Amino acid sequence: MSQRRIASLILVAAIAGLWPAGVGGRAAAGTIRGRVDVKTPVAPEPQRPDVGGLGLSPAHEPTDRRRSVVYLETAPRAAFDAREEPHARMDQRNETFVPHVLAIVAGTTVDFPNDDRTYHNVFSLSKAKSFDLGRYATGKSKSVRFDHPGIVRVFCDIHSHMSAFILVFAHRYFTVTDDDGRYRLENVPPGTYTLTVWNETIRGDGPKRTVTIPDGGGDIDADFSIR
Amino acid sequence: MKRFTPMMRFRTVAAGTLLWLSAAGAAAAQTLPAGPAEFANGAVTVSGNVSASIGSRDDVAFFNYTDYEHNALRMVRIAVSGTWKVTSRLSVLTELRSENSEGVVPYALYVRARPFAHVPIDIQAGRIPPVFGAFARQSYRIDDNPLIGYPLAYQYLTSMRPDAIPGSADDLLLMRGRGWRTTYPVGSQETAPGVPIASAYKWDTGVEGSFTSDRFDAGLSVTTGTLSNPRTRDDNGAPQVAGRIGWKPAFGLVIGASASRGAFLNGAIADRYRSLLGDHSYTQTAFGLDGEYSRDHWIVRTEWINSRWTLPQLGVPLIRQPLTATSAYVETRYRFAPRWYVAGRADMLTFSRVTGQRLFGGQPTTWDAPVKRFELGTGVYLQRNLTLRVSVQPNWRDGGRIRHRTYASTELAYWF
Repeated sequence: MSQRRIASLILVAAIAGLWPAGVGGRAAAGTIRGRVDVKTPVAPEPQRPDVGGLGLSPAHEPTDRRRSVVYLETAPRAAFDAREEPHARMDQRNETFVPHVLAIVAGTTVDFPNDDRTYHNVFSLSKAKSFDLGRYATGKSKSVRFDHPGIVRVFCDIHSHMSAFILVFAHRYFTVTDDDGRYRLENVPPGTYTLTVWNETIRGDGPKRTVTIPDGGGDIDADFSIR
Repeated sequence: MKRFTPMMRFRTVAAGTLLWLSAAGAAAAQTLPAGPAEFANGAVTVSGNVSASIGSRDDVAFFNYTDYEHNALRMVRIAVSGTWKVTSRLSVLTELRSENSEGVVPYALYVRARPFAHVPIDIQAGRIPPVFGAFARQSYRIDDNPLIGYPLAYQYLTSMRPDAIPGSADDLLLMRGRGWRTTYPVGSQETAPGVPIASAYKWDTGVEGSFTSDRFDAGLSVTTGTLSNPRTRDDNGAPQVAGRIGWKPAFGLVIGASASRGAFLNGAIADRYRSLLGDHSYTQTAFGLDGEYSRDHWIVRTEWINSRWTLPQLGVPLIRQPLTATSAYVETRYRFAPRWYVAGRADMLTFSRVTGQRLFGGQPTTWDAPVKRFELGTGVYLQRNLTLRVSVQPNWRDGGRIRHRTYASTELAYWF
């Protein structure tokens, strides 16, 4: 439910081109910054018991599931202006997708290079983007363009413990938290916005906060706690 | 009061499981576990598979009966796998299975150890996965059997039995094409199914060691049973030795060669007829070649197995030569859309010839009826871990009462 709802909100924002009251075209932009504290114990994605194997499976890097995405639920109209086609990258390394959470704007082409010494087969069955890149070897890369906002779950058809999230936004007012859960959302025009957090551990809607960037710009602090 | 027959039990369980799986499929993705569950701070991991297949009945021709006497195309299977990581280099693994709700069987229960931290050599002891061939281990991976049926070598019941043997070539030929219901004059007097060339779903008990590198892997096992008759307890005092070497010459290409040899005949027969048989060991010896090539959206697999059983020469007409069975299959899967794939398998099973007196005009005849099989199917991923498969499987047998049957089957499979 939460993923679908978030996807819907992103889409609504994209279609409506909403912007909050008080936005001034020539006013100084501000920065929203803060920290998302994920208090829920987040264990690395476990590997299925390899009962049919003749020995230990190769160790894989634990996925960093503490990363969150902070975004504006409604965005300034300028956020929807056409831009040059961006590129992003999601590696396959030590049987892990790196990064585990990628946030992009619609129209972005994501490269999926295979940096492992084994085959991978990246695919997704998500409504926002369904694709299957097939099996390809180390050193090769395949790409997918994401045109529609939404949440795309990415998997490997060979290694069931490999998974990742790609959040596709209609606007550019989003950011992924760093190792400490900190984030900075820069160049936000003055106005009042609903700031929302997405994290894969959240069941239901993510926490929201209303923030206002004054006409003169400046920094706004907004911390979140996820239990 | 109406008796609750195995068929009724299958129908009830199948209907219940299909209903549950269908409901699960209709539910949102997050209502079903998407991956394994962890307990004890990650020391214990548990995963599961549930599958229900519904197909045409096969209790007249028995083309698809397994060594558990279940129809591979009409089965409800619930399997729970678990790993307990005692240390980073020592773990206990198990898989508990129930087929058609007929009790719970520990298919696997063994200890896995890596003696040296930086040397990829592993030791496994207990009820262990087979080192021979490829299919038996592949089938334990998720969705690695693209079809519903199994390859003939790993499933089709020949008329060979470890606990009862023919007294002559005529006794053997009399059972030709009747592997699911075999009876012989020597040994057990019960009518019982024979064995497949290799049992994929009944695991043997013993110890195995394996080595893995980027290019090569090798495994060697010593177990109580044999390839076609894995056992929990030894019944003849002689172990089986089996091994496989795998080579990966290029990305996506795996070539393997296997061999096994072990005492096949039940010790009770040897003891009873010791004065006649002497201390001779009656063995099953098998050789296998397997290959896999995958690229883009294609996977192609092939496997060839030759098995030779030596039986005592008891009566006239004598069974003069060891009895061999040879099976080969080629299968492919092509995923033509993110949710959809098609798959096919061409499969054959042949036997060596023996010469009887009363049967087949005294002409050399294959000791069991050769079988050919095709299976074509398609699958759709309703969600990542919920797959619906449909397949059609024509079979031909050169002997027995029923010589040709085509089966259609549908399977819904879910894993976490």
